[in-house]
Amino acid sequence: MIADRLELDEPRLASPLGRVSPVVKLAIALVWLVGLAFTTRILPPLFLALVAMVAGLWLGRIPGPTLARATAPLWIAAVLIGVSNTVFAAANGDPAAAELLTIGPIRITTEAAVAGVGLACRVIAIASVGAVFSLTTDPTRLVDSLVQQARVSPRFAYGALAAYQAIPRFGQDLATLRQARRVRGLRGGWHPGLLVGVLVLAIRHGDRMALAMDARAFGSGPRTFYRPIGWHWIDLVASVAAVVLLVVALAVPT
Amino acid sequence: MSFELPAGHALLVVGPSGSGKSTLALAIGGLIPRDIPAAVGGHLALDDREIRSLAPAAVAARIGMVWQDPDSQLVMERVEDDVAFGLENRAWPRPAMSSRIPGLLDEVGLDGLERQRSRRLSGGQQQRLALAGALAPRPGVLVLDEPTANLDPAGALAFMERLASLRAERSTTIVLIEHLVEAAWPMADRVLALDGEGRPIDFGTPQEVERRSAARLRDAGIWLPAAVERRIRDGAMAAPARPSRPEPAAEASPIITATDLRFGFDRREPVIRDLHVRIDAGERVALVGPNGSGKTTLARLLVGLLRPDLGTVRLLGDDPARLAPAELARRAAYIFQDPERQFLAQTVEEEVLLGLRFAQRPAARILMGRMGLPLDRFGRRSPYRLSGGEQRRLSLATALVREPAVLVLDEPTFGQDRFGYEGLLEILDERLAAGATLIAATHDQRFVADATTRSIELDGGWIVSDERSL
Repeated sequence: MIADRLELDEPRLASPLGRVSPVVKLAIALVWLVGLAFTTRILPPLFLALVAMVAGLWLGRIPGPTLARATAPLWIAAVLIGVSNTVFAAANGDPAAAELLTIGPIRITTEAAVAGVGLACRVIAIASVGAVFSLTTDPTRLVDSLVQQARVSPRFAYGALAAYQAIPRFGQDLATLRQARRVRGLRGGWHPGLLVGVLVLAIRHGDRMALAMDARAFGSGPRTFYRPIGWHWIDLVASVAAVVLLVVALAVPT
Repeated sequence: MSFELPAGHALLVVGPSGSGKSTLALAIGGLIPRDIPAAVGGHLALDDREIRSLAPAAVAARIGMVWQDPDSQLVMERVEDDVAFGLENRAWPRPAMSSRIPGLLDEVGLDGLERQRSRRLSGGQQQRLALAGALAPRPGVLVLDEPTANLDPAGALAFMERLASLRAERSTTIVLIEHLVEAAWPMADRVLALDGEGRPIDFGTPQEVERRSAARLRDAGIWLPAAVERRIRDGAMAAPARPSRPEPAAEASPIITATDLRFGFDRREPVIRDLHVRIDAGERVALVGPNGSGKTTLARLLVGLLRPDLGTVRLLGDDPARLAPAELARRAAYIFQDPERQFLAQTVEEEVLLGLRFAQRPAARILMGRMGLPLDRFGRRSPYRLSGGEQRRLSLATALVREPAVLVLDEPTFGQDRFGYEGLLEILDERLAAGATLIAATHDQRFVADATTRSIELDGGWIVSDERSL
């Protein structure tokens, strides 16, 4: 079930990467992505992807198979994006470009191949950083940290947490409505009406949730925190390390 | 209606399905008309102050609410965080929260589960967690809207026991809406009875209401404790005789057989383990057992809505998971556990007519009338705007109208008042007399006794008993 993939085990929460403030991890991910936008080379994104994976496995105690499962669809997507961008690149039609190979009517140039592979590498970097972030970050801690350290509005943050927790419920609703159609003798596994049904149920669930939160005085004034989140030396270490690694990645000669 | 409830007292609100009990609860909680727009007249005061004029925080500070569905009232991921949520919102200092929460979890019987994910709790535990969350800020008033509706008998009993101990302390005023009158009636200091239109029938102590208006309550479709029912029955009329049950056919033929059945969701612990069962044509079978014992999963497997990991199911000789939908619908009808989460159409009329042949339509109109949902009054409403009990009857109607060989009903009596219940029994009796087979997954012990002749008890995915009564 989806729920299992959303839940972290205790060793991961207690790992060094699990203890870094979620806001700091989020900032690192964003800074890395911005940094990668300044280069089209292949090595920097691959280097950062490798760093993220090693850190996830070693400092984040993510079990290897879990990380492999979480990133597998994105690896496939990266390959597909790389191939399609290589094959359909405008550079292939440029007579001045250096020809790499031709497959039947398709001519592939070196420029197109370099751009395609570069793009695939960036997708891989984004996927690995994102996977390591989500596999080492407890959703409750992320929300607490967003509210306390990044001053995000509690209404938005806790609303998002509630919606996030409802994801498995939407899956169940879809399955039930499909079964309801079948047992009423209706054909077609993926009728568009199903989407309307799931949407209606999601909105009603959201309404009830909002009602329950209001009844518990949510948003009625200043709030305190049961789990105060403060800054630790580990946040500083992580930030400095992340910046150094980004600089190294961008500085490596090709 | 007018009534006054002294502090520290417990009020039980009873009334037939759709009488506005939940609406009253929302109004007391200050959520009508603030969150849910509604036309409101009259006065509703808390400690002599009009609830409508109070700030949301002021109402929430004095009132705690517990609803039916555990899934949509637990906000945080973990048990202790959820209890803390209401305290954080009221800006309790952290040390006060830390000292309040363990004792409270102990009080509702959830000690040791502080770090557990609330989704992993049983339904009964989730409702007790919701109770803890509502009680945490020490509200003056606790409003409970059918808190045991989704619980198995053991879970419901445990919940009501916690509530009774709370009432014994007299520190909290309780407003309770509850169908389980056997446990709720003795707990109440006052009873408010509503009729089908939402008008009060009577208000007073349980003894006063019993003495003055027991018969009127019964005639309005309200459930009464068994002792009270017996008394008024002895006085007035004889008990309506249960229709005689048809003798099982001499040569019983199997309608559903399941062999070596095993099923688990996504490589997890199996929910159904190596299960064998044979159900013959014309049988009336109850699937019973605690929450999570596999009743719903077995029911879905038997009509092919889920495919077993191992083993085979035969419905009239074929694998139901491989039948064309139209053929499956001719052989079996199914209603799902949650009354709200199974509707496919935007109006009540479309919902009941969906997938029916033209010739079946007149029968559908008549059936809806008998189920208390006449189409000229309810036809154009949205299924989602019905009360819980009405939604249940609508889904029952979508199954009963087809006259299939097998009726598989998951919690058929959910939220039913006496009228809904007796109407359902009558229609089921007709269908079964005509040769249909009934399989009902249920927590309702009254329904098991009244409507079924064979009781299959599940626990942990195994059949632990299979008994026929005569």
